[in-house]
Amino acid sequence: MRATIVAAAAALALAVFVSGASAGAKASCPAAWRAGWQALADKVQAPVYCPTWMPNPLDARIGGQFEDIYSIAKDRSYLVSFLDHGDAGSGDVHVNFRGYPGRTKIPTCKTTILEGAKTIRGTTPCFSDAYAKVRGPNISATAYHTNQDADQWHILLAWRYRSSLYTVSEHVIVPYDSSTRVLANLRKLLNGLVLLRPQG
Amino acid sequence: MRLTRRRFLGGAAAAALGGAGVYELVDQLASAPKRHVAEPAGMPAEQHVFELGTVHSEGVEVVVPPLHSEVITATVKPGNIRDAQQELEDALRELDARYELSPKGLGVTVAWGVPYFDSYVSAQAKQHLPHDRRANKPALLPSRTFPSDPKETIIEHNDVAVLLRSDQREHIDRARALLFDDLHVFEMTSVRRGFAGGGFSGGKSLPQRMAVAAGVPGADLIPDGSELFLGFTSTQKAGLGPRLIANHETLGFVDLRSGYFHGGTHMHLSHISEDLEAWYLNFDFDERVLTAFRPGMTSVKQGAQTVPQGPDNVSSVELLQKQFKQTGRFGHSASIQPTSRLQRDMVGPDGTLYPKGTAIPQRADFNTLDNPFAWTADPKRDNFSQEASAGVHFVVFNPSSDDFERNRLAMDGVLPGGTKLSVPPRTRAQGFNSVLTTTHRQNFLVPPRRHRSFPLAEL
Repeated sequence: MRATIVAAAAALALAVFVSGASAGAKASCPAAWRAGWQALADKVQAPVYCPTWMPNPLDARIGGQFEDIYSIAKDRSYLVSFLDHGDAGSGDVHVNFRGYPGRTKIPTCKTTILEGAKTIRGTTPCFSDAYAKVRGPNISATAYHTNQDADQWHILLAWRYRSSLYTVSEHVIVPYDSSTRVLANLRKLLNGLVLLRPQG
Repeated sequence: MRLTRRRFLGGAAAAALGGAGVYELVDQLASAPKRHVAEPAGMPAEQHVFELGTVHSEGVEVVVPPLHSEVITATVKPGNIRDAQQELEDALRELDARYELSPKGLGVTVAWGVPYFDSYVSAQAKQHLPHDRRANKPALLPSRTFPSDPKETIIEHNDVAVLLRSDQREHIDRARALLFDDLHVFEMTSVRRGFAGGGFSGGKSLPQRMAVAAGVPGADLIPDGSELFLGFTSTQKAGLGPRLIANHETLGFVDLRSGYFHGGTHMHLSHISEDLEAWYLNFDFDERVLTAFRPGMTSVKQGAQTVPQGPDNVSSVELLQKQFKQTGRFGHSASIQPTSRLQRDMVGPDGTLYPKGTAIPQRADFNTLDNPFAWTADPKRDNFSQEASAGVHFVVFNPSSDDFERNRLAMDGVLPGGTKLSVPPRTRAQGFNSVLTTTHRQNFLVPPRRHRSFPLAEL
């Protein structure tokens, strides 16, 4: 269940300020973040999307203080996650980036539900319940509200580029404690995504 | 802290709000539905009978609920109750004369709680109140809590509840003013407001637009066109009891004793908070279907909102047990149906045949943004907040308190005959219960129209 906090308004105000700083000239992957994202593109041998804006207080520096998960599977699919646990119950800010090079089908996730002594196992689409379309400068994404694994309780945007599937998602929790606020963040994120191609 | 309703609305929307608060937006967001309802030839003997039109939604006949509903609870002011009886009846007759008994006009249902009968007419009540034969208890019981209720659920002790229903907000406002401001027989304890429907003609539904306008978390996740916040149509005709089935006398569950309450019924009133984000972020569509209806429903089209629940789709105790054994869970509708639907054909005292599978309860529930009420005389006790919150004011008519309790217990897996589907309360396996929180409950008796004003006071 959602926690409650009192610092939401302040956090939101800061997020808007950071957003304003990235407006203006044609977006490019921020210099401090570029190396990590370029290395990811090189490693998976596929284009990846580098963000130019992140919800406060996160940055998107791979290997930086907010990196939570950096995982590349054998099939080259990746999950890069940034997380901040706020102080004294002020909430979490959690953003996941995924890519599935060479495939566009929504993957299937395993589900395990414990009900008393029973364990109920099943499978389900990792992203489901499309409920909105979000358009960025070069991307037309679908918003999903029921997602699994690291994207559980997140709003997630998914889109296809060439023959690959990409997603970005954010947790619905204080300080971004409504799906409306999170979708607004994701719109901003999508608008600022910059495609980096593998080099060499 | 969340934005409050008042702060969120701001600007023009806020300026438009009057006494009805956020609910005035209903009239801006939805027009009164076109209804094909036969005009009642006269006032029916039953107060709870309110003829509503139907439409077809996804191939299923669906009752179009009134756009606006309101319940006012109150205590009786000290004084001569025979005088009060005459004053109230005069006021109700004035409303009868002013508004036709239809959603275009106004529906008024006056229901009385145990405290009224105990405090004001206890001797007469002992002689005349109906008795439940199946339960061998009074047809009107003090309210109780149920296994999945949180310990904070408040059992209320109001003398009276008045249910007002109309497509026109103004009619409800005028009725409330007449009964509770102009008359001096009641002391209001709460006002509960809400709305329903407005989504059958396609596009964004009224519940979604209202929830978005009020800044309710998860509002944008409510599917377009959905009748209720939780996304499924709940007023399909086959799922609601037909006209007189909820009367005390119809199914023979209740001994009417003197017959004073012939044509009466029982009403349960509760407020239930709904955690929309828990529902829409945690449960995918397939799981929402099996949670709302029953496990094994795998053929429901993605995004469907009206899932047929006719007599042929009714669950039984045996089927429930089998599915529970296989899946470890049970659905909301399926768990209730062994008690809420007739298990065999029955014939009413007027010769009406009620086939097996017919629904017994007549629901009059409605969406609300109250938290938990629009107004309360005791904000501290009721945990009142101005912040909008998604929920439902659950109003249901059953032949008796016991009949309601059987249904509500079944929702928690406690079935007729002592069968218990044993899962911890409020877990995911218990249907809707994991996203619902009941804040208040009370049982009432709805007298027939001829005795709606201070029943038994004249004896």
